[in-house]
Amino acid sequence: MKPDRFDHITDTELLDKFYADGRNEWLGILLQRYTLLLLGTCMKYLKNEEEAKDGVQQIFLKVITELQKYKVVYFKSWLYMIARNHCLMQLRDKNIFVAAEDEKHLQAEEINKDGIRDKEKTLSLIESSIVELNEEQRTCVILFYLQKKSYNEIAASTGYSVMQVKSHIQNGKRNLKILVEKKLKHN
Amino acid sequence: MSDITNILNNDDQLSEELLLKYASGNLTAEEQHAIESKMIDSPFVNDAVEGIDAFKNKKQVQQYMDELKRQLQKQTEKKKKNKAKRKLPSMDWIITAVVIVVLLCVLGYTVLRMYNSKKEETNIEKTKN
Repeated sequence: MKPDRFDHITDTELLDKFYADGRNEWLGILLQRYTLLLLGTCMKYLKNEEEAKDGVQQIFLKVITELQKYKVVYFKSWLYMIARNHCLMQLRDKNIFVAAEDEKHLQAEEINKDGIRDKEKTLSLIESSIVELNEEQRTCVILFYLQKKSYNEIAASTGYSVMQVKSHIQNGKRNLKILVEKKLKHN
Repeated sequence: MSDITNILNNDDQLSEELLLKYASGNLTAEEQHAIESKMIDSPFVNDAVEGIDAFKNKKQVQQYMDELKRQLQKQTEKKKKNKAKRKLPSMDWIITAVVIVVLLCVLGYTVLRMYNSKKEETNIEKTKN
């Protein structure tokens, strides 16, 4: 089976096909799409090229066996969780501990997709909430989302480091979301 | 201003080619921004980009990927062949079981017949005596 022929099929459709006829080829096509994301993620945590490659192979095997046991709905988030846990377990075996990230934030990634999207009043709420962010976050959020600048450009014009820019945008976005959701509840 | 709603949205699939180009710094500012918005939206993409960045030789990444994809394809195809192979021995077992049952029936039947004919013989002998 040539994977390119299946580009138009979504992840969910591929999973459904697998659950319908149990053929592992569907998982093959699905997992191929995530090879680079998995390789990068493993490299980020394991910091060794060979180990990262082996890690991806082990994750592939794990995913194939796990999906035979239970049904997964949000595949991408689930796969990320499997990959991250696999890497953290490897690190734990070497006595290296990494601080856990906000799990709620992880799950929110796909669940919130259509929650806020279509509400028209969200737009004006976002505009009014941006002002409530602190200065660093507000500057970075405006430059990134409204002026569509890249990290490097923002770093150059503000004097922050790229890492700082990234975290200001991330935190700014999270805070903005909280503010908007709060206001939506009150309305 | 329509882009303002994108702040709270996220969207799917990024091509591998774009991600690799991003890592080697071969993208326009606009394309960079597109990748970076996915990074903000998805911790998975964010971790992956940081990881790809850590590879010393970006060409090596493509090699690793080709290798992994080839192995994955083999794995997912092999499983199916194994299943097909497994079916044959299980059919063999059914056939052996059926043959054994038939043989047992035949054996039982002949034993019973022999037993009955012996009984008849002794009965005939008894009546003669």
